[in-house]
Amino acid sequence: MNRQSETLTGYLLLFPALFILTLLALCPILILFWLSMRYRVLPFGIDLFAGADHYVVLLQAPRFWNSLGVTLYFAALSVALEVLLGLSIALLLSRRFRGAGWARALILLPWAIPTVVTAKLWDWIYQPDLGVLNYLLQNLGITTAPVNWLGTPSLAIHAAIIADVWKTTPFVVILLLAGLALVPRDLYQAAALDGASSWQSFVHVTLPLLRPILLVVTLFRTIDALRAFDLLYVLTGGGPADATETLSLYAYKILFQTMQFGYGSAIGVMLFLVVAMVSLLQLWLGRQDMRRLVGRTP
Amino acid sequence: MTSLTSKQSARAPAAALLVLSLCVSGCPTGSSPPTVASDMVTIVFKHGKISGDPRSLQDLLHQFEARHPNIRVRSEPLPSSTDQQHQIYAINLEGGASGMDVLAMDVIWIAEFARAGWIHPLDNLFEPGQRAEFFPNTLEAATYQEKIWAVPWYIDAGVLYYRKDLLKKYGRRPPPTWEELVETVRIVLGGEQEPRLYGFIWQGRQYEGLICNALEFIRSNGGDVLRPDGWTELTSPDTVEAVAFMRDLIHRHAVSPPLVTMADEETSRHLFAGGRALFTRNWPYAWTLFEQEGSPVRGKVGVGPLPGFGNRAGVSTLGGWHLGIAHDSRQPGAAWKLIEFLTSPEAQKMMARKAGIAPTRAGVYRDPEVVAAQPFLPALQPILASARPRPVTPFYPMVSQILQSEFSAVLAGLRSPRAALVAAERELLHTLLLERL
Repeated sequence: MNRQSETLTGYLLLFPALFILTLLALCPILILFWLSMRYRVLPFGIDLFAGADHYVVLLQAPRFWNSLGVTLYFAALSVALEVLLGLSIALLLSRRFRGAGWARALILLPWAIPTVVTAKLWDWIYQPDLGVLNYLLQNLGITTAPVNWLGTPSLAIHAAIIADVWKTTPFVVILLLAGLALVPRDLYQAAALDGASSWQSFVHVTLPLLRPILLVVTLFRTIDALRAFDLLYVLTGGGPADATETLSLYAYKILFQTMQFGYGSAIGVMLFLVVAMVSLLQLWLGRQDMRRLVGRTP
Repeated sequence: MTSLTSKQSARAPAAALLVLSLCVSGCPTGSSPPTVASDMVTIVFKHGKISGDPRSLQDLLHQFEARHPNIRVRSEPLPSSTDQQHQIYAINLEGGASGMDVLAMDVIWIAEFARAGWIHPLDNLFEPGQRAEFFPNTLEAATYQEKIWAVPWYIDAGVLYYRKDLLKKYGRRPPPTWEELVETVRIVLGGEQEPRLYGFIWQGRQYEGLICNALEFIRSNGGDVLRPDGWTELTSPDTVEAVAFMRDLIHRHAVSPPLVTMADEETSRHLFAGGRALFTRNWPYAWTLFEQEGSPVRGKVGVGPLPGFGNRAGVSTLGGWHLGIAHDSRQPGAAWKLIEFLTSPEAQKMMARKAGIAPTRAGVYRDPEVVAAQPFLPALQPILASARPRPVTPFYPMVSQILQSEFSAVLAGLRSPRAALVAAERELLHTLLLERL
């Protein structure tokens, strides 16, 4: 009896959270799935059943495969660079030195700048004729002619990744600094007593204790990078030749510039599936990793 | 008390328009028609930034208000990007109660706006007699399902600018064919030995301008994108060949630098104005800026029609802006008066003289004052009059999206012209199928 009422209370307490999740997460996703199976052009009053038509066309469209590739490449490379760079900067800043407070505040600056401003900033830096990057490269004698950073497909995607890394590394740094602050000092002292080199104490003390937070940071950043939109929208608009067109940019163009809600929603569904799969994979890997870690140090 | 017209129009715009149209055509201009009482009405005029002196439009609006003391015009400029303008229109007009009366529309939006019911058909107001004075191609672009939806305000067409001085130095003429353009660039660049001088600059960035450029290459080779029957012509040999030529200009002939893959009109204009290019494709607005005081190329620039392939003449893409009435306008009568005024010979004369904006009425090109102020305009008239509209379909934004993506992939060397056009055709047909519903 008592147990039963306790269970009921449990469900009752869960209800608000479940209700909000259903309303804000589940419903939109279901609507998205439903829309992706319709021909719908709202202004023209077109609303018809399409079944899998959009998916059939989408899966044959080189543009879709291209933007899927761009999305994955952009996310993988920028997250990898951000975590590596963020970890090094966090290690540096976690040391006590004169001006450490200033350095920490300064490093956060790019994160505080709105993404649209960041994108415009880098747009100017990359300009072929007027940009400061080409000016420097030419003055230092590294290149003779101006490099067309945003106009060459293979360069534009990397130019965008650099801008994204510049902008979001501070986010990684903040979270990792918080993680580093939680590592007990005496563990380092114990390691030092055992004669561990600084590299050994990094690998055997810092890294294992930082693992949970590293996992969270990577997950956050990956989900964010897979949805990349604002930076690319302003910096390149997806060009040249769709070389920087991510799935969200593609979906936006079809949904809001052409009003093809059905076809655009099919792209949205694909993006949802990609984000879901990558997140699940990361969570699974993280759990395996934890299990291994816990098993090793009983 | 609000006037009868405005009340009626809120409920039955079509009926009100009919009443007004009788009046507009029957009343002598200048006196206000009896249905519009002396109460003040305010109409909202939405438009993008006009190139050239912004005061020219303001002056016109003041003149209009002076002539119609009971109408106030609120001029609301839109962002400069046409994509953003389109989005603002789409969101507000689809939502209803847009608060807009007169809309300036890019020539490519009219069929879409008409099909969506965002604008009024103007057949009762814009009579065949009045229409006859406008360039027929501008009317064609404003016609959807045999109705006319907007009045041509100003016109644009792609033209070829060239350096007169350099052509003369090497004894070359403005090229009538693309093949000759390639040859001329080789000779001049070979002779000049100036690494900072480019051959031919056009707009290859992934945006609407790329469609305009590509259509010019394609149509001057006898190809096209959409046929009048709504079927595509994307994979015809003429179309494929022309698209391959665009890529070859950059990668094979090296006549155009790789930077054209990110060039828009302004990039092209700045390069040419800085003396950095022998040829450039642009709209007529660039002329005034090339010829302005202090311009390094002043007095050295020639302008003419675009080249064609072989014996074919060049074909320019029609651009420009039209004026229409929002479907939910509460003042369609006053809105029509503003449109009539802004597209009148007198207003077009002033815009042409002061801002170098090309009028849509053929007669204005013969006006001595206009000729004196803008001597290049009469020379442009045949090019403007023969420019061809982009496909008139309510699905134009989607058509453009698909083509931009594929043309851009070809220019970047990512896909062969044929593969890209086959892919474009498949996606295009998926969209155009909706037009048959």
